[in-house]
Amino acid sequence: MAVKFFGQFLVERNIVSRELLLKAIELQDSVNLKFGEMALSISMITPAEAERVNEAQKSEDLRFGDMAVKLGILTEEQMKEVLTRQKNSHLYIGEALVKVGALASEELPRYLDEFKTDQAPYVVDHVAIPAGVPHAALWEITADLTYKMFTRIVQLTFRPGQCEIINRIEPNNTIVSMRMSGATDAEYFISVSGGVREMIARAILKEDDVSGEQKDVLDDTVMEFANVVLGNIAAKAAQIGKDVEIHPPEVVDTDGTGIDVPAGSTGLAFPIHVMDERVALCVIVER
Amino acid sequence: MKKVLIVDDSIAVSRQLEKIIAGSGEFEVVGHAKNGAEAIKMHQTLHPDITCMDMNMPVMDGITALRTLVAMNRDVKVVMVTSLGGVGDKFTEAIKLGAKNVISKPFEDDKVIEILRGL
Repeated sequence: MAVKFFGQFLVERNIVSRELLLKAIELQDSVNLKFGEMALSISMITPAEAERVNEAQKSEDLRFGDMAVKLGILTEEQMKEVLTRQKNSHLYIGEALVKVGALASEELPRYLDEFKTDQAPYVVDHVAIPAGVPHAALWEITADLTYKMFTRIVQLTFRPGQCEIINRIEPNNTIVSMRMSGATDAEYFISVSGGVREMIARAILKEDDVSGEQKDVLDDTVMEFANVVLGNIAAKAAQIGKDVEIHPPEVVDTDGTGIDVPAGSTGLAFPIHVMDERVALCVIVER
Repeated sequence: MKKVLIVDDSIAVSRQLEKIIAGSGEFEVVGHAKNGAEAIKMHQTLHPDITCMDMNMPVMDGITALRTLVAMNRDVKVVMVTSLGGVGDKFTEAIKLGAKNVISKPFEDDKVIEILRGL
């Protein structure tokens, strides 16, 4: 019940051994060329030009091909040609496992079908993000997986509200924050009322009654919930080519004054209405 | 009965894992460590058969502790526990360093036990 990649799914089910998976990954690493390596291998760029692109990438967050076009080293057409070659020669993990003898080729379609069924609950549904917000696809994944985890883990019945841009996060019983870096520099918040916090605690601790638990234990369960949600978001983001690092969760706004969205940042709120009351909220503040 | 050491800085996760592992009746949870450094110390005194260890922890993270434990005993049975299990690079890194498997969060009780049984 988590976002996985195919190799992990097979190891978990003891269909392939960890040793053979590693062998297949090594094979993939040797066959699947990165954009720059592919462009070099077909002499579309020179080593000196590749170095220029690498240097320029240190000061601007652009992919190799986009940077090469920006610097006038490649035309748009040439970039597309390299991408097509990369795509056509890509060795997928399933194929690599067949090549190293971990799977029989006739077994592969069946396991891929089983994997798709396993991952079906994590197919992202559309969430409307206000126009002009950067990294909209990432925030769509973030909101949708947060909703799905509230349903699957906490078994919360709710109605998601429309995403809105906010300048402030109002105080609540527990607000947990986690930093995201890499493809974005943002802060992810889960803000919950006491009732929703208890539901999270019951789910995480696997206890029917958590009324006797201390507040720090209850807060710890909200931190763990945020950690699980964001870990799965990072896995889903990696599938669309966005590498997101997540940092440890912490309880914030302990003095209950609320949190202002800093100037120059965008605050996105995804209200979660529970029994006619807005008690849970997933918020993203991107710097 | 196989002895299991749980290593996690979160009280919630430790309790959740203990409930699943001890509840199976097949394993005995012999200790809880809050970080990698504590895990290494407890390994030397408790000699667990299996260690379930979080990747991200304060003081010493799980990956650093895994490296140390493997250096001390290359047959050590460590299973990494992480919400980042689905990130291919993280999974591969743990396996390459000697972890026997990776348990992804949220936990599936049966899957956790199945993984431990397979060690």
